[in-house]
Formats: sequence, structure tokens, C-alpha cells
Amino acid sequence: MAQEKNGIKIRGLRKEYKLGSTVVTALNGIDLDIGGGSFLCVAGPSGSGKTTLLNMIGLVDLPTSGVVNVAGVDVQAMNDKLSTRYRSQMLGFIFQTFNLLPVLSVYENIRLPLILHNDLTKEEKHDRVMDFAKAVGLESHLAHKPAELSGGQRQRVAIARALVTHPIIVLADEPTANLDSVTGNEVLELMEEINATRGTTFIFSSHDPSIMHRAKRVVRLRDGHIEVE
Amino acid sequence: MMERFALCLKNLGRHGWRTRVILLITALGAFLSFMSENIIEDIAKKQSDMFARASVGHFRILDAKIETANTFGYYSYEPDEMLTPAEIISVKNFLSGLTEVTGAQERIVFSGLCYGEGDQEDGIQGFAMDMDNYNRNFTDLYYAKGEPIHHGDENACAASWYEFEKNKTVKVGSQYVFLLPNRNGEFVDRFITVKGGIDFRTMPKDSMGFNGMFFDLDGFRSAVGYDEAVASEVVGFLKDTRDLDRVMPKIDAFLAANHPNLKAVTWREYAPIMSEIVFGFDAMMKTVETILILICVLLVFKLTTFSIIERYSEIGTMRAIGFSRSDITMQFALEGFLVIAAGSLLGGLAGAGLIAFLGKTGIVNTMIFFQFIIGNGFTPTFHPDKIAAIAAIFGAVAIFAPLLPSIRGGRVSILDSLEKR
Repeated sequence: MAQEKNGIKIRGLRKEYKLGSTVVTALNGIDLDIGGGSFLCVAGPSGSGKTTLLNMIGLVDLPTSGVVNVAGVDVQAMNDKLSTRYRSQMLGFIFQTFNLLPVLSVYENIRLPLILHNDLTKEEKHDRVMDFAKAVGLESHLAHKPAELSGGQRQRVAIARALVTHPIIVLADEPTANLDSVTGNEVLELMEEINATRGTTFIFSSHDPSIMHRAKRVVRLRDGHIEVE
Repeated sequence: MMERFALCLKNLGRHGWRTRVILLITALGAFLSFMSENIIEDIAKKQSDMFARASVGHFRILDAKIETANTFGYYSYEPDEMLTPAEIISVKNFLSGLTEVTGAQERIVFSGLCYGEGDQEDGIQGFAMDMDNYNRNFTDLYYAKGEPIHHGDENACAASWYEFEKNKTVKVGSQYVFLLPNRNGEFVDRFITVKGGIDFRTMPKDSMGFNGMFFDLDGFRSAVGYDEAVASEVVGFLKDTRDLDRVMPKIDAFLAANHPNLKAVTWREYAPIMSEIVFGFDAMMKTVETILILICVLLVFKLTTFSIIERYSEIGTMRAIGFSRSDITMQFALEGFLVIAAGSLLGGLAGAGLIAFLGKTGIVNTMIFFQFIIGNGFTPTFHPDKIAAIAAIFGAVAIFAPLLPSIRGGRVSILDSLEKR
């Protein structure tokens, strides 16, 4: 029931880009069901449509046609205000390049999304930040700036930032691409642990076979199609 | 809100030198505005104190045919252009009903000649007026030397130009031959005793030491042969020069309705250079203020635009994690606001500090040229209405200057900004 409640249903998802006079089809009629609590890898070579698919789910981009339904709601039909709230309350993002704010400390970066959560008290926000800083093993680096951290540590901060709002879905676009294999594995282990303990849905993209096989489910894209599952 | 505020401060810190330049320019603009707006007001008040009570008078009512512009009040006229006794009474009655007017009396303003030691001939400007009342809420003339002139005194005068080191004209207590105009404008010679030496309280006598001779009105009329109580003008003074624009229309309306042959002129017309100097100074300061404010606006506009370009991908990140367009707009607008507000506050405080200091020490002037504007000096004070106006202007700049680029920042596409990383 929970899986359906927090699930994602994608139907006929199509995305075309215009590059000059050429129309590029990034997604060509994707149908996909993702249950709540999934640990799913969207795999495929560069240009296969992995990032575009994540962008559609995260409302970072809009499809040319098709439907993305999250927890029973057609997210494409949301106006800007609702889609902002959707991203704030239901989604967490992890980027390939970490996307931390360089002027903020680890503590402040993790706390950043909570600025928008006026329903939480100052103490609750602090507790959440500390919980996730501890969960990603950075409780002793709270005052550090991103520039003072290693790549793996930065991605851990990004994971904590993505999780601090208690989202039901975390979208991670090639989260280990900028990390060495050891650090990449550590980050993935962390994601697995959170998925297992908190039931958060993780949808991440990768073209690294060693990463793919860690996923509970792999969806392979090629030229905008689901090639194989 | 405090978290957003803290985020703004951190972001401003990263724009280091640009933030400091804007802060400095804004502070300078606010400082100059604060100083000039308050001090201009003090100068205007000082001028009011000086000219509203100086013998040149503040406003005069006289025959409309008399040319007064740029005469400094030493105009010439035909005998038939003098005010009749009925006109004088009517005008004085009207002026007595105006609360802004401190006093009014009729005068005969004339030119004459004085023969001093060795028959040296000097031109004089003469004022025949009620010498018993002149120093009571009327002018700031006072007897600095010798004896006062009283009502009805004939063949006696008080000289404003006496015993100067240079251009010595008359000595207090001595008698001279004067050529004075009678009712028909013909000159008659009289032995005149210079009983008193007169100075101004508020005007610097070095610069204002014209060769004026003051006679009692009735004594003068009797001495030179007037058979009726006519006068060349009724002179009136305001409590505050700055009421001029409010009072003059009332006087003009009264004259148009009752005495269309008369006109009212002010020292701004017959001594325009005085107000022009203040106006010029004011205009110069306002130009500098405006340029500085425009530079502030442009710099903040640029800083905000640069911030958006530099932090383009951050906008995408923040939007992705849930910040709305208006949150992003607010973020950049608040950063711009904070820089200008801080600069304005710094400049305002520096200006307030300097005015407070000068308020204790006073500004002393010894330069002759500036004596026409501020006399021997003045004491700056705070003017709440001016301070409020400056705060409003800089507040508006702080709000609106960063707004447009901030709105553009809020409209940045999430996808574009994330891909630009």
C-alpha cells in the first residue's frame, strides 16, 4: 500500500529538444512504474535520456507529452507554486557536481532547504541537521566549507541536504561520477542504508556497471527508450 | 527570516570589493545628502535671520512703476510715485493682520550727498523711518556708538558707515553738510549731526557696511519740507523668510484688489544674487547627490546582475531544493537592499556626527564672499523633515535598485542554470 501511495507512474513520456532546425528526441514514450521505497538505477550511455528522465520526475523540466504521476498526483499539471512545494516537501536532489553553496558551512548547507520549512522550530531544524550530519559521518566537519572537504565528503553533505526535509523520493543524477571508486561505493552504501532504514525512494542514474549492480532494480535506456529492465 | 538574512550577509561577503565599493559610494552619497540638506536649511534660516531683519528689508510695497530688480533696494523714483497717507494706512492695516509678518512701517528711501572733511563728497543711501521703533521686532540695527535718534529729531542721523579704517566717511558726533531730496525731488542742503553709529546684529558690517544714513521719518519730512505724510514704500519683515512663497500671494491678491498701482517685491528680486548663491550651492550639492545616487543605483544593478551570473547554477540548485521564484528574487533583492541600507546608515551616521560636532563648535566664517551668504557663521542643526526625506530617498533606492535584476534572477530556468554549471 505504501509502495503504491508513494509510487511514481510514468506514461507515454516524451521529450523533444530543438537544436537549431533539428529536433532531438531525448525520451521517446517512456512507460514506467516505480514503487515507493525503490532503489532504482536508470542506466544507459551518455545521451540515452537518463538525466532527462530524472528532470521530468523532479519537475526541473517539462515533457513534450506524457504523464508523470507521483503519489497519485499528476505533477506536470502543477503550477509553479505547487511544483515548488512539491520539490520542497517530496523531493531531494543529489547532483553529480554536488552543487553545494560555497559560502555556507557543512551545517548551513544541510540546513539550507529547511529555511523553507516554517512548520519546524529552530530546535527541530537543528536536530534534523545533526541527525543527518551524523548519518553521513560529517558531524565533526560541521563548520567546514565545501572547499575544505574531499569529493566524497561533499557528496555526503549533498545527500544529507537532500534527506533533511524527509522527502519520499531522492533523485540522484550520477552521484558517484565525480568520485573515485572507493568513495563512490561509500556514497552508494550510504544511500542503500538510508533506503533500507528510512524507506526513502532513491532513483539514481549511472553508466558505471559496478554501480548499477548495487541497485535493486535497473532500468536501461537507449536513445530515449527503455531498452531492458 | 534571520536565516535568509544570514545567507545574504554570507553572499555579500563573497562579492568582496564590489560590495565595499557600493557601500562606500552609498555612504558618501548619504553623507553628502545628510550634510547638505541639513546645512542648506540652516543657511536658508541664516539668510532669513540676516536679510529679514537687515535694513534692505524683506519685502517692500511701493509704486508698480518703480524699477527695483537688482537694486539692492536703493531704487530711484519720481515724487508722484510715493505712497499716499491713505495707501500707507491701508497697506499697514492689511499687513498687521498677517501672522507671518512681524512688523511693517513706511519709509522714505532716497539717495543724497554728504560733504565730509576737506569737502570730500560721498554718495549716501538714506532711510527715513520710525527710529523709535526700528529696533523693536523690526530690524536688527542697533546703536553701536553715540546717541540714539528719537522721533521728531531733525537734522540728525545715525550712520551705518562710520569710522571705518578704510573709506572713512563720517565721525559720530560730528556735523556735516548733506544734500537731501525734498518732497519734489529737489536737493536741499542741511547741516546734519551724525549722532549715532549703527551696526547690524546679524549681518557682517565688513561686507554690509554700505554708506547708509538713518533719519527719523517725521524729523526728515520736517527738515527737508514735506507737507504730507507720504513715503516711498512700506517695508515689512517676515518671522521666517521661508514663509515667503506662502505670504506673497496673499499680499499680491490684496494689492491687486485694493491698490492696483502698487506692487510687492522681495529681497529675492532686488538682491537676487543672495538667493542665487544659495540656490547655486543647493543645486551644486543636489547635482552631486543625484550623481552619487545614480552611481549607487547603477552599481547595485550591476552587482545584482553579476551576482546572478556568478551564482547562476546556485539559483538552479536552490530552485531544485524547493526555493520559489519569489524566494530567489527576495534573496538577491535583500542583498542589494542590505548594501545600500548599510551604506546609507553609515553615511547618515557620519553626517549626523559631523553636524552634532559642528552644532557644538559652530561654523565660523571669515571670508568676505561667504559673508553675504552665512554672515560670520552659523550653527548647524538637525532638521527632521530633511532627514526623513533623505531616508525616504535612500530607502527607495535600496528597495528598487536591485529589484529588476533580482526579478530576472527569480525567473531563471532551473534546467538552464543547472546545465550551466
